[in-house]
Amino acid sequence: MPTKAKLPNTQKFDYQEVLRDVARSMVRLKRPDRLLKLITRFIDQQFGLAHASLLVFDPKKGHYVFVHSKGTKRLPMGLVKFDSDHPLVQWFSGSKKKLPFQKDFLFLSDVKKMLSRAEFRMASNSKGDQLAGIQKTMQNLKVELLVPGYFKDALVGLLMLGRRVNGRCFTTQEVTFFQTLAHDCSMAVKTAEYNQNLVEQNQELAKRLEEIERMRNKEQRTYYEIMRSLAEEVHAKEPYIFSHVSEVERLGMMTAREMGMDLSGKTKDLLSAALILHDVGKIGIPDNILCKPGQLTQEEWRVMKTHVEKGARILEPLTDFKKVREIIMSHHERFDGSGYPRGLKGDEISIEARIISVVDSFHAIVSSRCYREGRSIDSAIHEVRNCAGTQFDPVVVDAFLRALRTELQKKGEIPSALAEHAAD
Amino acid sequence: MNKILIVDDEIEICEFLKSFFEDRDFKVAIACDGTQALEQVSLFHPEVVLLDIQMPGLDGLQTLKKIKEMHPKVKVIMVTAVETQEKIEEAMRLGADNYITKPLSLEYLEKDVQDKIDILAKDL
Repeated sequence: MPTKAKLPNTQKFDYQEVLRDVARSMVRLKRPDRLLKLITRFIDQQFGLAHASLLVFDPKKGHYVFVHSKGTKRLPMGLVKFDSDHPLVQWFSGSKKKLPFQKDFLFLSDVKKMLSRAEFRMASNSKGDQLAGIQKTMQNLKVELLVPGYFKDALVGLLMLGRRVNGRCFTTQEVTFFQTLAHDCSMAVKTAEYNQNLVEQNQELAKRLEEIERMRNKEQRTYYEIMRSLAEEVHAKEPYIFSHVSEVERLGMMTAREMGMDLSGKTKDLLSAALILHDVGKIGIPDNILCKPGQLTQEEWRVMKTHVEKGARILEPLTDFKKVREIIMSHHERFDGSGYPRGLKGDEISIEARIISVVDSFHAIVSSRCYREGRSIDSAIHEVRNCAGTQFDPVVVDAFLRALRTELQKKGEIPSALAEHAAD
Repeated sequence: MNKILIVDDEIEICEFLKSFFEDRDFKVAIACDGTQALEQVSLFHPEVVLLDIQMPGLDGLQTLKKIKEMHPKVKVIMVTAVETQEKIEEAMRLGADNYITKPLSLEYLEKDVQDKIDILAKDL
């Protein structure tokens, strides 16, 4: 630590050693502001000054303020500021080539000497005004020596040193040493600034990521809405009394509830989306196949069956809908393994797909299509029940029929098929 | 010789400004809180008071109010790090003659104090 570096009694103490200490501290210290404090205290202790103070540019406020001051006559913090147009700042900020008298340090005695020269005494001389301002400031702050610290030619700070308590002058070697320290201070200030900027940039980045996520969600929402309209569109040409999509969703949710499925939050959204979008792939099936009255040819069937994969592909941009795609892929699988496209059976087919299979078929039977009238609820119930165990999961069929019965009971219209069912 | 009272709970600030104004041939007194400040105004009879706001006990605004009640001619310049619009308006309403926020420009402070002295001289 620089503060512990011993100053030998002889005038020629080893600056190199002290510099190495400072450099080591710089590397070691994660908080550059600590280094500034150390340097200030070190100078005060080693050189016996009335005060050693460090003035630093505050980029947020746009002025220079004291950040540290040590010594018996130390300066108060937070009281004094210097704006960028202050003579002191101007003197050290200008281009070096344009200022013949500028040095990398400035003694009060030199300021006085310069001011005594005729060329600076003239009132019209701006350089003279500047020097007069500097002299006044140095006297106000009881400063004997100013040592600037730069970073890329910009004045980062000023080391302001009071008089030596023992009255001795500063040697050239010492001044060079102060210059090195002033440079170290500038680097430390800049490091601190960059660290702070980095922290702020990270926060900004996190905010933007959040924004992107929000926009992505919004886009997904929009895409989902479009898909929903498309799903409705698939059946638009068919004279359903109620929307097939909405009805299938309602019946499916009802069945799931009856089965005691957890329908909170995401699970519900998932099932609901799958129920709504299960046939969205049909928008890719030509109308002459989709609405063909009578039997489909083998080739037409092949095309018809592709609506499953088409639906799954259409939903690919919805990254949150991976599970929904899987359900849609399976909604034409049969419980006994004879369905398409993959021939899954039993539990291999997701429960959501098994539910869709039942309610979709049921609603298709009772609804009028472009090529035939809808059949009665009784007839649909019979068919669904007959297919339990082959096409449908019997557990799902049971739950669906129970739920349907409860619903129709409320309306006071229990079909005979369900009356039988209740009696079973 | 002009007299100035410096009121701040930070002794280093008091000492620094004391030295600053003594170099300009002022007679300077210092006070560290509002109660001391009121005593000094009565005993020392300063023309100008530099008054901090955040102080333990009687704060700057309460002190300002009492100074202006007892010695309406004394010029009071608020010198404070507090710069909310609310505090500034409150200080002005209570009769503050200026409001300077820390950190400050020494040149501006000197000029402002001198202005107040000049106004007082004119009134005489």
